[in-house]
Amino acid sequence: MSEKYREEYEVGFSPRLVMEEASRCLLCLDAPCSSSCPAGTDPAKFIRSLRFKNVKGAAETVRINNILGAICARVCPTERYCQAGCSRSGIDKPIEIGLIQRYITDFEDALKMDIVEVKEPNGKKVAVIGSGPAGLTAAAKLAEDGYQVTIYEKEAKAGGYLRYGIPEYRLPNQIVDKEIKRIVEMGVDIVLNTKVGEDIKIEELRKEYDAVIIAVGYSEGKMLPMFENNRKVIKAVDWLKKCKDKKGNVKVPENVLVVGGGDVAMDVVTSLKLLGCPHVTDVVYEQFSEFKASKKELENAQEQGVTIIDGYVPVAVARGGIVKFKHRVIPAELKVKADLIILAVGQSPNVENLGVELEKGEINAKGVRVPDTNVFFAGDIGHGEKTVVWGVRSGKEVAFEVKRFLGGKK
Amino acid sequence: MVKKDLSITFMGVKFPNPFCLSSSPVGNCYDMCAKAYREGWGGVVFKTIGPKHYLIDEVSPRFDALTKEAEPFVGFKNMEQIAEHSLEENLADLRRLKKEFPNQVLIASIMGSNEEDWEVLAKLVTEAGADMIELNFSCPQMTSHAMGSDVGSNPELCKKYCAAVRRSTKLPFMAKMTPNITDMCVPAIASIEGGADGIAAINTIKSIINVDLDKKVGLPIINGKSSISGYSGKAVKPVALRFIQQMKTHPQLKDVEISGIGGIETWEDAAEFILLGCKNLQVTTGIMQYGYRIVEDMKNGLMHYMDEQGVDKLEDLVGLANKNIIPAEELDRDYKVYPEINNDKCVGCGRCVISCYDGAHQAMEWDKENRRPTCNKDKCVGCLLCGLVCPVGAIKPGERVLKPGRKAKNLSKMVLQESVEKL
Ligand SMILES: Cc1cc2nc3c(=O)[nH]c(=O)nc-3n(C[C@H](O)[C@H](O)[C@H](O)COP(=O)(O)OP(=O)(O)OC[C@H]3O[C@@H](n4cnc5c(N)ncnc54)[C@H](O)[C@@H]3O)c2cc1C
Ligand SMILES: Cc1cc2nc3c(=O)[nH]c(=O)nc-3n(C[C@H](O)[C@H](O)[C@H](O)COP(=O)(O)O)c2cc1C
Ligand code: SF4
Ligand code: SF4
Ligand code: SF4
Repeated sequence: MSEKYREEYEVGFSPRLVMEEASRCLLCLDAPCSSSCPAGTDPAKFIRSLRFKNVKGAAETVRINNILGAICARVCPTERYCQAGCSRSGIDKPIEIGLIQRYITDFEDALKMDIVEVKEPNGKKVAVIGSGPAGLTAAAKLAEDGYQVTIYEKEAKAGGYLRYGIPEYRLPNQIVDKEIKRIVEMGVDIVLNTKVGEDIKIEELRKEYDAVIIAVGYSEGKMLPMFENNRKVIKAVDWLKKCKDKKGNVKVPENVLVVGGGDVAMDVVTSLKLLGCPHVTDVVYEQFSEFKASKKELENAQEQGVTIIDGYVPVAVARGGIVKFKHRVIPAELKVKADLIILAVGQSPNVENLGVELEKGEINAKGVRVPDTNVFFAGDIGHGEKTVVWGVRSGKEVAFEVKRFLGGKK
Repeated sequence: MVKKDLSITFMGVKFPNPFCLSSSPVGNCYDMCAKAYREGWGGVVFKTIGPKHYLIDEVSPRFDALTKEAEPFVGFKNMEQIAEHSLEENLADLRRLKKEFPNQVLIASIMGSNEEDWEVLAKLVTEAGADMIELNFSCPQMTSHAMGSDVGSNPELCKKYCAAVRRSTKLPFMAKMTPNITDMCVPAIASIEGGADGIAAINTIKSIINVDLDKKVGLPIINGKSSISGYSGKAVKPVALRFIQQMKTHPQLKDVEISGIGGIETWEDAAEFILLGCKNLQVTTGIMQYGYRIVEDMKNGLMHYMDEQGVDKLEDLVGLANKNIIPAEELDRDYKVYPEINNDKCVGCGRCVISCYDGAHQAMEWDKENRRPTCNKDKCVGCLLCGLVCPVGAIKPGERVLKPGRKAKNLSKMVLQESVEKL
């Protein structure tokens, strides 16, 4: 049953179809797609290259602007970013930019193109804590300019939520492997199974390296007090991690209750269905009109036959896994008994022993640097949106600032 | 990132890359040419400058496009003559361009109505700082028969005017040919005899591309009427390539350098002109439709092509295809190649069957039950029309067979195209 989970859900373009799609592009003047890609991947330029038969040039544009181009192509919420203001919507519907980007990076991979050039070592050393999209991008951008970069990662494999969060059917780990391999080949060293603050002190890193970048993400799922210590309850990110780790070879019970309505919840319910769970009930705090999950993920979940109930909050949990919900507006109640309860009510950061303070889930300093130190930060714990492509943007930004800092100190 | 040296010497002048604006509104004034240089064009052929006494008076509107299905611009028609700006303005622009962009090439295009005009114009643009000159013998919509394509189809005039220009300048110059002629080699040879250093081809093709069915007049409509005028863009590329190949293989012209023009939009188009012997390339319609920015992908794509071909100098690609274009009577007619159908790719539209029946040899048969084609080899002649019309590229050249009674040969060694698919 796990094949479905392992197979990429979305079908890629063939050469003919990608050209048809590129031909729909209006080749705009001040292309809104390019100005609304957080990472500066420049879709208007790579689509134009493709349209004018220069696929290799298109691959260069993607890869130079976005070192995780093949990943972003698959996981970006494009309807919020590049495709949001697409001029083509004035005629029918936006250009499928993510799918075009995927075609281009698949082409790059098939031809084994080696695009990024690495400069001679410049003698400077940088440590990065965390190997999610922000840490990986920062490392690659610094390595490109000759910095010696070491990433410290607490897990057994690199990638952060790319590896352990986003399900296989949306982002195969094989793609994550290839993107990371490219970065390792640029000279970046990744030290696994090493938690900074526990296995190694951040003070040591600050001494040994010219700069330290904290990119630890939102590594923990949130708990609701009423579910604490309940053996039937698991946090969404922990469950998703198990699935991805075991390539979908996990046992799913007959009847699962999911609480939460964001993208993480959608990943959980869809994964459950793809793994063969017959009864998946998702109870969501928001009403449909204010739903947080992307339309595409919601549609996928509905297509899979997930029961989604909107507008209810959990108020109590009884023995045997019976959860009581109340509607937020109307006088209505709901009771659900399930074999397993998965909580997808958000993630939070953990910066224990890293010598930094948080404020509303972000490090309490302006910009990307802790004032008066050689410590920088990026990704979900930095300022901005909590998505992969923002991680890439933030990784580029922090690399730029680190270069300025280290160049300026001389 | 691919990096290759695209520089190439044409008529003794080194170009940073072979891509130039061709003479037309895309190079009408200082601002436009400066922008083009900044966006990476190797050279500019400034809009054709005419004699002071010839007054330009243009029509409005002046363009139309030939379309096909969803394709907005297969070909392009224009009714424009030569530069609208005054001679003084144009010369001032040339001077300023050369001063500010010394490393990119500036080519002045000129057109006179008699020997004196040509001499005077050649002298003026030489003094203004042009690196080379192009003689416009080829605009098909001039309002004077002493100018434009009427000159280009008259070898004596070509030779006479080239000689006049030769007398008044030491700069290298090329004669720009009209395709509105059966054999371009004749005026090209005459131009070289008159003193031209190279040839530019092609200018636009005389055309009527659309007729308004209500008003019963060609397009564009100029107060109820229209005229025959120049056709350009992608659709004219095959015509340009043919003339260029003929010149490059003519004994008297094979060593003459050629600037190729006509329908260039992509690096692939550019590479085709180069493989047929061009050392320089010019573009108008592609720029009018998409802007100067198309040069980025033409340059980058050409570099990747050089990389794939393992060459470091663009020069090494020039003319490589000419030896493989031979007279029809010399082609190998001993074999035929049958279509090979990939049933996994086939989507069951039956277009191959329709085209084979109505346009070929009734060999493609339809399995009604499975909705898939099969080729009846007894009838098939191996024309491969079926492969061209297949919308998914499921049909490609397959089994090769010797025609009956021909001398045996190693059929597997024959060089055939891998696919006939158009995408
Ligand atoms: C299930 C799920 C689905 C998602 N889907 C999408 C999507 O489709 N599109 C999208 O754009 N975004 C999506 N996101 C959000 C996205 O994954 C995050 O915004 C992004 O991964 C944040 O990147 P990051 O580099 O800041 O941190 P993370 O990816 O969280 O990586 C942080 C890394 O740091 C490591 N780490 C933490 N503490 C330490 C320490 N002390 N020492 C060493 N290492 C440490 C962690 O193990 C982890 O590997 C999803 C998130 C989840 C959970
Ligand atoms: C609007 C327009 C104006 C042109 N004006 C000139 C001109 O002044 N002098 C000239 O030599 N050719 C002129 N041409 C011809 C072009 O330089 C070029 O030879 C021709 O358009 C074919 O190239 P293309 O397919 O890239 O457009 C003109 C073409 C167009 C479309
Ligand atoms: S990186 Fe993401 S947001 Fe940017 S262009 Fe590509 S798909 Fe769109
Ligand atoms: S906004 Fe849309 S139509 Fe315009 S360039 Fe970008 S993808 Fe093309
Ligand atoms: S090769 Fe020609 S004759 Fe043969 S099946 Fe195709 S269209 Fe018909």
